Amino acid sequence: MAVTNSTDSSGSIRSSRRSSGSRTPKKNMIPVGIILAIIFVIIGILLAQRSAMVGFFWMTGIGFGFVLQRARFCFTASMRDPYLTGGTALTRAVLIAFALTTIGFAAIKYGYQMRGLPIPGMGYVVPISLATVVGAFLFGTGMVIAGGCASGTLMRVGEGFTMQMLALVFFIIGSLWGAHDFEFWKYHFISNGKTIFLPDLFGWTGAVAVQLVFIGFLYVVAVKWENRKEKE
Amino acid sequence: MNQLKAGFDRLRDNEIYKQWFKNPFTYVMGAVLLSILQIVTLAVSGAPWGVSGAFANWGAWIYEALGGSVAKWYYFSTTGAQNTLEQGFLNHPDSLRNVGIIVGALFATLMASQFKIKIIKNKKQIIAAVLGGLLMGYGARIAFGCNIGALYGGIASLSLSGWVFGFAMFFGAMAGSKLLVKFFM
Amino acid sequence: MKEVILDCFGEACPIPLVKAQNAIEELEIGDVLIVQIDHSCAMKNVPEWATKAGHNVEIEEVDDSEWEVIIEKAK
Repeated sequence: MAVTNSTDSSGSIRSSRRSSGSRTPKKNMIPVGIILAIIFVIIGILLAQRSAMVGFFWMTGIGFGFVLQRARFCFTASMRDPYLTGGTALTRAVLIAFALTTIGFAAIKYGYQMRGLPIPGMGYVVPISLATVVGAFLFGTGMVIAGGCASGTLMRVGEGFTMQMLALVFFIIGSLWGAHDFEFWKYHFISNGKTIFLPDLFGWTGAVAVQLVFIGFLYVVAVKWENRKEKE
Repeated sequence: MNQLKAGFDRLRDNEIYKQWFKNPFTYVMGAVLLSILQIVTLAVSGAPWGVSGAFANWGAWIYEALGGSVAKWYYFSTTGAQNTLEQGFLNHPDSLRNVGIIVGALFATLMASQFKIKIIKNKKQIIAAVLGGLLMGYGARIAFGCNIGALYGGIASLSLSGWVFGFAMFFGAMAGSKLLVKFFM
Repeated sequence: MKEVILDCFGEACPIPLVKAQNAIEELEIGDVLIVQIDHSCAMKNVPEWATKAGHNVEIEEVDDSEWEVIIEKAK
């Protein structure tokens, strides 16, 4: 930390500053971006010829990455900042995403059920056990230390952060390690866990309503928490 | 050539261009766009967005390339998992989506003219990346996913497991914050 | 009135924000804190925090992917 005494006292921040802002960004990377975009589309078409689904995942991946980076959407910060800095802007944004996606997902799932088809995405309704709690706790600890969650790590790799490139390598090693130990967790904990699909408890309307009310409650808590932290 | 360059510079400094490609979107805007992508993903592929599951496959592919074998591992014992492993990276949609996230972020950074390789600053960052990466990888595998599949996808799928994951992850983040401030700052 | 430069180049989130929060505590009203960052998320969350906390904030892109967040302590 360098301390300098400013002699200028004209009031405006900029004019009181020393000359450290004399550099200006010069590079224009837009042409590279456009060339890359063309290459990505070509790759997308080639992939889609192998398998439409692979091509679709490729293109949506680019969409996810673009949105995450443009909005600086960081799940890590949404979990970390309430405690660490008192800010809840991202926490609230994540809650909004949960609410919107809940409505969309429920509509799709309900539609399938109405037509007598198997409900999609039920692979993500998983048993709750000690493994869930331990795994999520470890994950939460790791993402704060590594400076990015799963999506955030990938996004920062794209932004050029070597730290997250290293984190990604060890994320993969950790995943392999976890897969290796999965049998232990499955045998001792997961197999005794309970799978709870909220519509089974409350019906479709009830489940969506209960979840939205709960998200709303958390949103209010997040607003109050930020205001309280600010006064401290 | 110079004209072209001037044109790109004008584009870079154009206010409307800046709004779309340079100035950050609001978090709420991000939430809305991610939700749309999530819903489209479920509608088209029949499964929510997931990220970390593919990393286990990446690990397995690398491990097998190095001469190891995961054939006897319980985690990869289902026919589905075996098929995925056999068909390889280019036929695994989730893997390509993850690469897509990387290049999508790269594209966004380039369009904002803000791409730069940021070199690791010190030893602390190396330890943090190694430790954090391992914890995330292990945790995600035993908890059926990460912040995307288990948390976001789980909650949106009206599964109570998503909420349990979220609360445990919140306390994990608190512990992580304490460690970060104490050892990595 | 003094000016403090906080070098957070190469630091990942949330370190720049935490350091800035700590640094501003040490300053008097009217002092200026310049947070130097090259982390694209900190370039959003540092100014947002400072604005919300009621300080005067300016953000300047000083180089490709490098920013200075200039915070004048106002309360």
